Amino acid sequence: MNSFQMAWRSVIRKPVKSILLFFVVLIISLFFLSGMASRNASIATQNKTKQAVGAGFLMEANEENKRDRADEILAKKTAGEEGNFDGVNVEKIKTEYGTSWSVSYDNSFQTLLIGDMEKIAAVSGISEYNLTTAVTAVNPVDFSRIEDDDVDQSSDLLCVSLIGNKDMALDANVLSGNVTIKDGRMITEEDVDVCVISEELAEKNNLSVGNRIQFNDRRDVENSTVFAAEIVGIYTVQQKMTPVMAGDTFRSENIIFTDLGFPEKAEGSTSGALYEKAYFKVADVNQYDEIKKEIQEVDIGWERYDLIDNNGNIDKMSKNFNDLERVSEILVIVVAGASLIILFLVFIFWMKGRVQEIGILLALGTPKIKIFGQILLEAFLIATAAIFLSFMAAPATSKITASYLVQQQVQQADEQSVLEEGKVAKSAEDSEETVTGVSVVVTPELMLYDWFGVTLLVVISVGAAGILIARKNPKDIFSEIS
Amino acid sequence: MVLEVKNVNYAYKSQKGKEILKNVSMQFEEKKFYTIVGASGAGKTTFLSLLAGLDMPVKGTILYDGEDIQEKGLNYHRKHHVSLVFQNYNLIDYLTTEENVRLGGAKKPQALLEKVSIPYEDWKRNVLQLSGGQQQRVAIARALASNAKVLLADEPTGNLDENTAGEIVELLKRTAHELGKCVIVVTHSKYLAAQADEVIMIKDGYCHIGERQTTT
Repeated sequence: MNSFQMAWRSVIRKPVKSILLFFVVLIISLFFLSGMASRNASIATQNKTKQAVGAGFLMEANEENKRDRADEILAKKTAGEEGNFDGVNVEKIKTEYGTSWSVSYDNSFQTLLIGDMEKIAAVSGISEYNLTTAVTAVNPVDFSRIEDDDVDQSSDLLCVSLIGNKDMALDANVLSGNVTIKDGRMITEEDVDVCVISEELAEKNNLSVGNRIQFNDRRDVENSTVFAAEIVGIYTVQQKMTPVMAGDTFRSENIIFTDLGFPEKAEGSTSGALYEKAYFKVADVNQYDEIKKEIQEVDIGWERYDLIDNNGNIDKMSKNFNDLERVSEILVIVVAGASLIILFLVFIFWMKGRVQEIGILLALGTPKIKIFGQILLEAFLIATAAIFLSFMAAPATSKITASYLVQQQVQQADEQSVLEEGKVAKSAEDSEETVTGVSVVVTPELMLYDWFGVTLLVVISVGAAGILIARKNPKDIFSEIS
Repeated sequence: MVLEVKNVNYAYKSQKGKEILKNVSMQFEEKKFYTIVGASGAGKTTFLSLLAGLDMPVKGTILYDGEDIQEKGLNYHRKHHVSLVFQNYNLIDYLTTEENVRLGGAKKPQALLEKVSIPYEDWKRNVLQLSGGQQQRVAIARALASNAKVLLADEPTGNLDENTAGEIVELLKRTAHELGKCVIVVTHSKYLAAQADEVIMIKDGYCHIGERQTTT
């Protein structure tokens, strides 16, 4: 009888040991497939979602450069001279203790230069861009702002805050998912003299979409020109926006989004608009790094600016996916390690139960390698059957495993969000989007990997347990039987 | 002379070199029925293991047809030169009667099974379903299945009742005298020893060729 005939008879006629190994291999194979499928699913979904969520670059004025430029300007001026020097205001202040000097910058000195921003927006790969003004405090003429009744308002500006956007949909607060439209619409590039107010402000003043509200310069509320803006939308927030300064002027409910040109008019600026941030949206997230290089090569006065990676969305999404991928990888590694130990123990159990058979075969002059081959063949036959069954069951189990891992990740992300509550404000913020599901597919490639991996584990385990045969001489085995 | 033992010494590693066989020399011929007797622990089974190539002597050589059995390897010796029968039959538990005999090398095991008087209806049954005596007959049939000139048996009647043991002894005798094999049997049984053409007594590590004994 050849080894295959022997192996086949052993597998069929000693069902207990065969079934034991069958189920062990089946479970191992299922875990492997589930782990690998979850890992692959996370990668696939990650790429897809990256595109959907998008990414971009944020541009801000460089603070150090502002100081350097101001110092340079002040160094040129005659001592004791007051006035505006290329956007730097120098003012003499006389007090009872003597004279001191106040230095401030006007909008023209601080603003992002629109020409520079347009050059960057022209870089291929930038699909859209937005400009956002500085938070501008203006006087509410014909409506009341939201105030905290318990706070003394005498030190406050008694204003509301305006944030102008070229395209409100690309405002950091909107991109983060914190600000959403409850009624009406967002402000677009074509809009002039329009605003979007908070639901609290609308409720307090009984305002709705289509109404107009008025503002003027807070420094001269009596005489300055009044500007009206039409309410085109009412927004709601998930978490209150963090005030840029203390006082009810800057509280979340009193923030009013407007078109890009409105804050400058309403505050009565004589030095133009103050564009504080620019956002450039990348068309293809996978080309992020290449586009960044191209942007850096644009001929503008880079010393004035800070270019900030605004891929927080990707980071957050990636973090979720990477965690999922990592957990899946750990699952595969743990299963591999545990499987090796379990299979080794199963085969030790096999060998122990077959000492007599091994002894008989040795006594009949069967070489050890042939006996080892027969046991390996038996293991292979059983493992192949188990792996095939696991292929059939894998789609269902993989889905369950992946869903469980996703659920864990979402739960973890939720806990993290609770810890980070209240941090949403003016900068590029993380998306509220998280992984909510993945599509798991058990591909033929995965099956091949699984078959190869499980078979390798079986061979290693049989080999390790087979050392027991190799180390003994036949007489020892017969003594053991006796 | 088919098998020759020359100046063989053997010691268990676990017993710090205490010699169980001392300078043993012995010759075995075909067509003869030998029994090896001695007290428990005298080294009978060890001696048989050395003849079977299941273990190697510490010193000395074992020759088969004048050639050292280690030259072609002990596996080869076990496969082609000797066949073994054990007290506890040592049959493969997941094979049928016929398949166990085939394992010994027989392409047509039926003739051998008839020779050892195993009924036809038992040929396809799992070997463990046979009685002890039948199992031992199957073990002998398996031993006969090979073309080995030497049949070695370790207490082949140890687990059998008197009548069955008698039948097995007859079978072994016929194997030696009719089939021309050299049959060497380790036994405690005086009856079996009395059937031998030659009795080898192992005592204090030495082998003595004794007279053919008679049973009482």
